[in-house]
Amino acid sequence: MSALSDFWSAAVIWRDPLVASVLAGALLGFLGVYVVLRRVVFVSAALTQLSTLGVIVSLLVLERLDLETDHQEVQLVVAWIFSVGGGLVLGTLGWGRRLPTEAGVGMAYVLAGALVILGANRLVHVAHDLNTMVFGNAVAVPFQDVVILLVVTGLVAGLHTLFRKEIVFASFDRETAEAMGLRVRLWGGVLFFTIGLAIPVAAHVVGALPVFAFLTVPAAAALLATRRLAAAQALATALGAVSAGGGYVASWVLQVPTGATMVVVAGAMVLPAWAWRRLRA
Amino acid sequence: MAALVRLDAATLGYGGRALLAGVSVAVDPEDFLAVVGPNGGGKTTLLRTLLGLLPPLAGARVADGPLPVGYVPQRDHVDSLWPLSTGDVVTMGRVTRSGPGRRLSPGDAEVAREALARVGLGDLWSRSFGTLSGGQRQRTLIARALAAEPRLLALDEPTNGMDPAAELGAMDLLRELHAAGGLAVVMVSHRLEAVANYARRLAFVDKDQGLWKVGPLAEMLRPEALSRLYGRHVIVREEGGRRFVYPVGGEERP
Repeated sequence: MSALSDFWSAAVIWRDPLVASVLAGALLGFLGVYVVLRRVVFVSAALTQLSTLGVIVSLLVLERLDLETDHQEVQLVVAWIFSVGGGLVLGTLGWGRRLPTEAGVGMAYVLAGALVILGANRLVHVAHDLNTMVFGNAVAVPFQDVVILLVVTGLVAGLHTLFRKEIVFASFDRETAEAMGLRVRLWGGVLFFTIGLAIPVAAHVVGALPVFAFLTVPAAAALLATRRLAAAQALATALGAVSAGGGYVASWVLQVPTGATMVVVAGAMVLPAWAWRRLRA
Repeated sequence: MAALVRLDAATLGYGGRALLAGVSVAVDPEDFLAVVGPNGGGKTTLLRTLLGLLPPLAGARVADGPLPVGYVPQRDHVDSLWPLSTGDVVTMGRVTRSGPGRRLSPGDAEVAREALARVGLGDLWSRSFGTLSGGQRQRTLIARALAAEPRLLALDEPTNGMDPAAELGAMDLLRELHAAGGLAVVMVSHRLEAVANYARRLAFVDKDQGLWKVGPLAEMLRPEALSRLYGRHVIVREEGGRRFVYPVGGEERP
């Protein structure tokens, strides 16, 4: 009880982080429906890793130029370049008949991961801040990050509202969409552009693990519980927001790590969704 | 009558690798062309070239202006995991008609409903696509193609994996749609039996033999031509107004 009252009395501290977490959860929950249905769950993991690599690269370059490494806007822009670029390459280009797409995704994931470790090794003197820069810190999110997240959420929502039918057709049945004159690479590109845009800013707020979780778990629960795409997207958005918000509050009250708590709360929602589906069946 | 689309001495292939050279064929507005050949023989490559999705490596593809195409993929290629209603799937046929960024109008929904009714599934509009039977799913995909109000209906192995009754139903439907007029049909199939009673013209394609031949059905259904294509003796029989094609033992091709 006292933990809860402490929580309420500290509203000034948690307001911005909570809003940012809820926004990130909702945004990734919505996009996750496409990620799960297009069977590219590990693309999101690779993009998170590439986004992290972007942050490391920006830090290395800033250091090389003898500039302050605390330029978060530079880090975010470079992370976006890596994430959006990776999304466009991994999500829309094939490897022909020689390699399955998963091979490219796996290579991107493991190479980016290795380069992150090597790069971080060169940044020993900023190691203390590096963890926060790379893996997020939902406990302390500046208002500026909330604004950036709001802008990204608005842009993603706008693109997906405007071009919903094209993105759905190109994602559901690429072969037919292309044969009937739809520019499937363009619309696949729009989808992966939005995913690539969302990941770095969300990772900066909630961390890499929750980003991967929010792109997968709320969508999986929503797809279990619903029978229509629009309903699945609405539910996944809501579940993403509730997982992030609920996880944040629970971590504060229970004094446990925030990102991991968010993932556990998201995971706990799959069980009722599965039970609901069984009951309906 | 001007052809809707034609290939002139085209070399088919992709990634700079030629599969088959010297392919010439014209699809007329009232055509019903079936392309048959063994698996991996280049049928789908031919169809994709004809639709303009793969440029010919040599020769030319000539279309009579913008060509509204209705395409029916192999049923197995359509993901039943997606939570879509039958109506949602059919309505996709209107996407390229309405243009990017524009909402589908009530008129688009009406055309889609009519297309679903035309294939005999008008009462399944709200049913989940993933719960339909194989035959119903194939009809839904044909309805989606019709919703585009095409001049050319292109089908890739439309009866693949169907039981004989469903196959007969799907082919009868195609014949009805074609007979109603204003719709050319091009379908590829490795099942000669499926097309022998429906197509007006038949084309054989087999990249391994360098074989490309197209002509009227009666001329192409001669046992010696079929035996050469399949490397087996083939018997063609007519019973009760229907043609039956039987491959039998014995190598024909050296």
